[in-house]
Amino acid sequence: MRRFVSVVVVACLALVGHATPAFAHNSLIGSNPANESTVQESPSTIELTFDQPVQTGEGLNTIAVTGPEGTNWTVGPAAVASNVVSAPLSDLGPTGTYRIGYRILSADGHPVSGEVTFTLAKAGDGTPAASTASDGEATAETDEGGLPIWVWILGAVVLLGAGLTVALRIGGQGR
Amino acid sequence: MTRARTTASFRFPPVTVLVGGALAGTLCGLVLTLAAPVPGVTEPDAVVRYGLPVVRVLLDVAAVATVGLSLLPILVGQHRRTRAEAVLAGARRAGAVSALVWAVCALVALVMQTAEVKPGPGVSPAAVLDYVARVGAGKALVFVAALALVSFGLGLAAVKTGDRVPPELRTAVALFALLPMAVTGHATSARWQDLSTISLELHVLAAAGWTGGLGAVVVLLAAHRALLATALPRFSTLATVCIAVVAVTGVFNGLVELTAARSLTDALFGTAYGVLVLLKLTCLGLLAAVGARIRWRLLPAVLRQQRTALATWAMLELAVMGLAIGFGVVLARAPVG
Repeated sequence: MRRFVSVVVVACLALVGHATPAFAHNSLIGSNPANESTVQESPSTIELTFDQPVQTGEGLNTIAVTGPEGTNWTVGPAAVASNVVSAPLSDLGPTGTYRIGYRILSADGHPVSGEVTFTLAKAGDGTPAASTASDGEATAETDEGGLPIWVWILGAVVLLGAGLTVALRIGGQGR
Repeated sequence: MTRARTTASFRFPPVTVLVGGALAGTLCGLVLTLAAPVPGVTEPDAVVRYGLPVVRVLLDVAAVATVGLSLLPILVGQHRRTRAEAVLAGARRAGAVSALVWAVCALVALVMQTAEVKPGPGVSPAAVLDYVARVGAGKALVFVAALALVSFGLGLAAVKTGDRVPPELRTAVALFALLPMAVTGHATSARWQDLSTISLELHVLAAAGWTGGLGAVVVLLAAHRALLATALPRFSTLATVCIAVVAVTGVFNGLVELTAARSLTDALFGTAYGVLVLLKLTCLGLLAAVGARIRWRLLPAVLRQQRTALATWAMLELAVMGLAIGFGVVLARAPVG
C-alpha cells in the first residue's frame, strides 16, 4: 500500500507540471449584421465576434449565407483576426430572411457551429450563386491524397491484429 | 489450466457489461445533445459524427482496463503474488492487449477529429499532420497514443519476464497517459483555469483507478476467495478515496462550467450539458449506494471467505460506471447551452 501511495504522489506531482493554459468552447457574443436585425442594404462583409480567439487555418472556418427559399449566396473565404471572423459578401437579392451559418474551430480544438439570421428590407441586385460551385471546389481541394475514413479504420484494425499476434506469440513463449 | 478456464468464463460478461454501459451512455448523451444542422455549412460524415464518440468511449474503457489490470498485482499484495501467479499472468496479458487497443483507438480518434474539423470525402495524412501541428487536442492524442504504446511495450515485457517489470511502473505510465486529453479538454473554463484543469485531471485519475480496480478485482479474483479476502479490503480503501475525489472534482468542474454564462438552475435544467451533469450525479449516487453495500454487507463475508453475491453487485456497479463514462465522453465535447 505504501508503494501505491508513492505512485499516487508521483502522479499528482506530474499534474502540476501539466497545468498549461487550457481554453473553453468558443461562443458567439456578437455579429454584424446582428442576430434578428433588419438591414436596409445588403452588407458587404459579415463579422462574427466570439468570446475567445478563433484558430486560423485554411478551410478550418467557414461562413455560408442562405437566402429566402434556400438560395445560396457567395461568401468569400473567412479571415480571422483574433476573436473576430469576417468574410466578404457579394450583393444580396430579394428582400426576406437570410441565415448566416458558421462553423469555426474553437480555441480548444472543437468545431463550433451555429447560425445568425437577419432580414433584408430593401432588395439588392445580386443573384444567387450556383449551389454546386462551392461544394465542387471543396471536394477538389480535399480529394488530393485523401483517404476515405473506412480505409483508416481498416488500417487500425490490421495494426491491432498484428499487435495482438505479437502479444500472443510472446505470451506463448513465456510459458 | 482448468483454473485459468474458470476465470475465463467470468471474464467475458463484466467486460461486455462495462462496454455496453459505456456505449449506451454515449448514445443517450448524443441524443440529448443532438443539434440541428446549420444551413449552408458542410457537416462531417455520419461515420465521423457518430463514430468519433464511440471510438472515444472505447478509448476510455481500454484506458480504464489498462489502469485496473496494472493495479491488480498491487492490490493482491507482494506476499500473495506467488500464489496468485496464474491469475496475474492472465492479467498481464490482458493488460498488454488493452494498452494496444487504447493506442489504436487514440490514432483512429485523431483521424476522425481531423475529419470533423475539415469535413470532406477523405482525410489525407498531410491533413492529420496539420491538425496535430495546429490543435492542442491533436497533440494530446499523439501523446496518448505514444504513452499507450509504451504501456503496451511494458505490458509485453511483463508478460515475458513476470513482475521484473514493477507493476507500480506500469500503473504510473498508464495513469500518466490519462492526463494529456484532460489538459486539452474544453471542460476547463477561462475562470479558475489552472484549478479546474487540475481538478479535471484528478477526476479522470480517480475514476480510472476506481473503475479499473473494481473491474480487475471482480473479473480476475471472483473465483479465488483467498485472494479476494486480501485484495477487496485494499480496493475498498482505494475506492473510498476515489469516490470522494470523483465527487468533489466532478461537482467543482460542473459548477465552474455551468455558471460561466448563466444562472445555475437555468443551466442545470435548461441545457443538455446540465442534464448530463445531473445524470452523472445520479450515477455517482447509485455507485456510492452499491459501493456502500459491498463494503458493509458483503466485505465481512468475503473476509471469512464465504460465498457472496459480490459478482452480481459488482456487475451492476460496472454497468453504472460504464454509463457515467459514456455521459462523460459526450459531456467533454458538448458546448454549454
